[in-house]
Amino acid sequence: MAKLCVADGSGNFLDRMNPLVKILGIFSFGLGALIWPDFSLGLVLLLVLFLLAAVAGILPSFSKLILGFGLPVSIMLLFIQGCYSPKNRVIIASWGFLHLGLEGTLYAAKIVSTLLVFLGAFYIVNKTTYTGRLVAALSGIGLPAKIGYLVLASLNVVPQMEHRIKVIRQAQSARGLETGGGLISRIKAYLPLLGPVVLSSLTDSQERGMTLETRGFGIKGVRQSSYVKVDWRKSDQLACWLLLVFFLLVLLASILSRTGIYPFTYDWGGGR
Amino acid sequence: MTSIIEVEDFSFRYRNASSAALRHLSFEVERGSFFCIVGANGSGKSTLCNALVGLIPHYFVGRSGGGIRVKGNQVADTSIPELSKHIGLVFQNPFNQLSYTAGTVAEELAYGLGNHGVPRELMEEKVRQVAALMHLESVIDKNPLELSGGQVQRVAFGSTFIMEPDILVLDECTAQLDPLGSEEIFDIVKRLNDRGITVVMVDHDMERVARCADQVMVLDGGRLVAIGSPQEVLSDPRTMDHGVDLPDFAKLSLALQAEGYPVDRIHTTEEPTVSMVKELLS
Repeated sequence: MAKLCVADGSGNFLDRMNPLVKILGIFSFGLGALIWPDFSLGLVLLLVLFLLAAVAGILPSFSKLILGFGLPVSIMLLFIQGCYSPKNRVIIASWGFLHLGLEGTLYAAKIVSTLLVFLGAFYIVNKTTYTGRLVAALSGIGLPAKIGYLVLASLNVVPQMEHRIKVIRQAQSARGLETGGGLISRIKAYLPLLGPVVLSSLTDSQERGMTLETRGFGIKGVRQSSYVKVDWRKSDQLACWLLLVFFLLVLLASILSRTGIYPFTYDWGGGR
Repeated sequence: MTSIIEVEDFSFRYRNASSAALRHLSFEVERGSFFCIVGANGSGKSTLCNALVGLIPHYFVGRSGGGIRVKGNQVADTSIPELSKHIGLVFQNPFNQLSYTAGTVAEELAYGLGNHGVPRELMEEKVRQVAALMHLESVIDKNPLELSGGQVQRVAFGSTFIMEPDILVLDECTAQLDPLGSEEIFDIVKRLNDRGITVVMVDHDMERVARCADQVMVLDGGRLVAIGSPQEVLSDPRTMDHGVDLPDFAKLSLALQAEGYPVDRIHTTEEPTVSMVKELLS
C-alpha cells in the first residue's frame, strides 16, 4: 500500500528543515530563475536541485521526473519557439524548410529551465516534507483549520482511493469477475469498479464529515493545536535569510542586466 | 441520581422517507449509568445515536419534533463540535471514523484533542495512555490505513475516548472485532463506566447486555416498546415479539418453566441460572 507520507522530520537536513523554509525555497529558486534575463541561472539552480535530491536520497526518482518531463517539453518548445517564434532574427541552423532561430531557442531554454526549477523544487519539497508537518507549520502562522484539512485530505486522497479500489476489486474477483489477463480484459475489469468507487467515496465522505464534527472539527473560539511538532531552528532562520538574500541579489542583478547598467549575463547575440 | 440525557417526545423523519425513523421517544439516562439500546435492524438505534450527538438535526436533513438535552444543552441549539466536549460517538464502520489526515496512529488519536486546542505535551501523554489501554503501542507509528479492521476499530474507539467525554455513545462499535477483541474493548468500556462515564451502547450480544447494563431500552419501528432493568426487559418473552433475542440464560429458564419445572424467576445472567439449575437437579 502507498504511504501517506515520506519523511517524518528525523532524517537528513532537508527532512528536518521547517516546511515554511522549503516553501520559501520553491519561490526563491523558481522566481529567481524566472526573473533572471536568460536560462543560465535556471541551469545552475537545476544542478543545485540535483545535488539536494542526492542528499535527500531521491536522486533516481528526481532524475526520472526531470528527464521524463524536461526532455519532451524541451524538444517541443525548442521546435515551436526555435522554428516559429516571430522574434527570430539570427538563424543558427537550417534543415530544408526548417530554420532554427537563436531568439526562439533562448526563450525556449529559459522557459524550460524555469519550469524545471519550479517542478524540481516542488518535487523535492513534496518528497522530503511530511504533509502533517506542512499543515502544522502553516496552521502555526494562521492558516485556518478548514483549509489545512482541505490540503491534507486532498494530498491523502490517492492512497485512500487505492485502498478502496483494492477492496472492491477483491470483492468483485471473489464473485468471479476476471481482473487479470491482457490489456483489454484489464480495462474491462476496471470499468465495473468506477461506479462503486465513486459512489462509496461519496457516501463515505458524508460519514467522514460527521465523524470530524463529532471530534470537534470546526469548533469556534478555540485555537487548534497539533500533535506534530514543527521546530524553528537556528538553521531554519539561517536558510530563510540566505534564500531571501539570494532572491534579492538575483532581483538586483536582473534589474542591472536588463537596464544595461551592468550586464551580469552572457551576451548570446541576437535580440531579446 | 441526576439525568445527563433527557429525551422528550422526540420524533424524526428523514427527508424523502415514507415513515418516521423515531416516533415520540421519551426517556432519561442517568449520569454514570450503563444504558443499552436493543432492537432489530431498522428499528432506529443508529438514528437515535446520531440524534444524541447532534448529527440530527445538524447533519441529517429531515423533520423532527420534541427535544433532546445533553448535559443541560438543547441538542438542536448546540453545534456538533460544542457537543463533542460532552458526548462522543463511535460509529459502526471504523474506517469512516478516521480523519484521513493523520500519517500515524498517534496523530489519529490526537486529532480530536488538537481540535479542542489541547497543548502538545498533554496530547503526547494522553496518546501514550490511550495507546497502552487499547493495545496500540506496537502500531503507534504506523499509518492507520495499513491496520487491520480490528486495529482500526481500536483506533476509532481510542480517538473518541481520548477526548474524555462525559458520555460515550457506542453504535455496535465492536462489530469488526473477534469475540476476544470484542470482550477486551467491552472491559475497557466497563472500566470507563465504573470511573463515572455514562455509556449509551447499541449491542446485539444479549448476554453482555444482561450482564452489564443498568437500563435496557427496546426499540421497534422507531418506537420505544420497553425500558427498564435488564432483568425486567430481558426476562420477558414479549421482548422477542420486537425482533430482540433473549439471553440464553433467560431462554433456558423459560424452557424449564414450560417443561413444568418449578422456576419462579426468569434469570438473565449466568450465576443465578447456574444456582437455579443446581437447585432443580438436587
